[in-house]
Amino acid sequence: MIETGVVISIHHEPIFWHEPGGRSGGALPDSRTLWDVLWQANRDGWLSGFAHTHPGGGLPGPSREDISSFVAIENALGRPLNWWIASSDLTVLVRKALMDSMPGREVYGRSRVADPIWVPELRKRSQMGSPYR
Amino acid sequence: MADELVRVIRDDEARVNVTWKMQNGDLPDPVFRDSSENDVKGWVTEAVRNGGVPGIPADRDADFRDFVVDRYPPTEARPYNLIQLRPKTAFGWSNMRCPNCGQVHE
Repeated sequence: MIETGVVISIHHEPIFWHEPGGRSGGALPDSRTLWDVLWQANRDGWLSGFAHTHPGGGLPGPSREDISSFVAIENALGRPLNWWIASSDLTVLVRKALMDSMPGREVYGRSRVADPIWVPELRKRSQMGSPYR
Repeated sequence: MADELVRVIRDDEARVNVTWKMQNGDLPDPVFRDSSENDVKGWVTEAVRNGGVPGIPADRDADFRDFVVDRYPPTEARPYNLIQLRPKTAFGWSNMRCPNCGQVHE
């Protein structure tokens, strides 16, 4: 398994498959290209959020790295996004808890959701990049 | 007589551009081209908090600790160095910066 991401439109469709060089089973590296896609999609009014895979099965949760990127991107775009994380068998949606968040002390809530329609392809691409598939 | 005085940006200087709350703007004055990331973040933070970036409303809560610096050399269309401050886009559990050495470990 190798971490893979995808930018999702407000119509629940993949806009951009994020498969940068340097990704691993535990990390998606910083990417100027991903930021450019997010910025453009948000400016065009298409952006719903971003999904990425985590290794293994069970209920996935955001890492500290994930949360700090969520905060930075939402601050730059000026609005909250949807952040999905998919393990090999479950998907969660992470969103900023607006009522509980303060600048510098953002709080995010995680909800288990049924797999969105694009999750099988996300898992497939995540497996395709693995040397252990 | 010119309506506006334009400061020439020297080869050892750079324009600083930042994105915050869907607005984009430049620091009014260029900075040393090789300024450290921490210095750039500090100047931008102070400027945005005080409304010192044209095009970006003052925001006393502006915080750029999880932003990264991209550096671009001059081009034909943009004949000066550019430093851009944008949010980081790293995800995952294994690329946290080590608190001891500051490096990213696999």
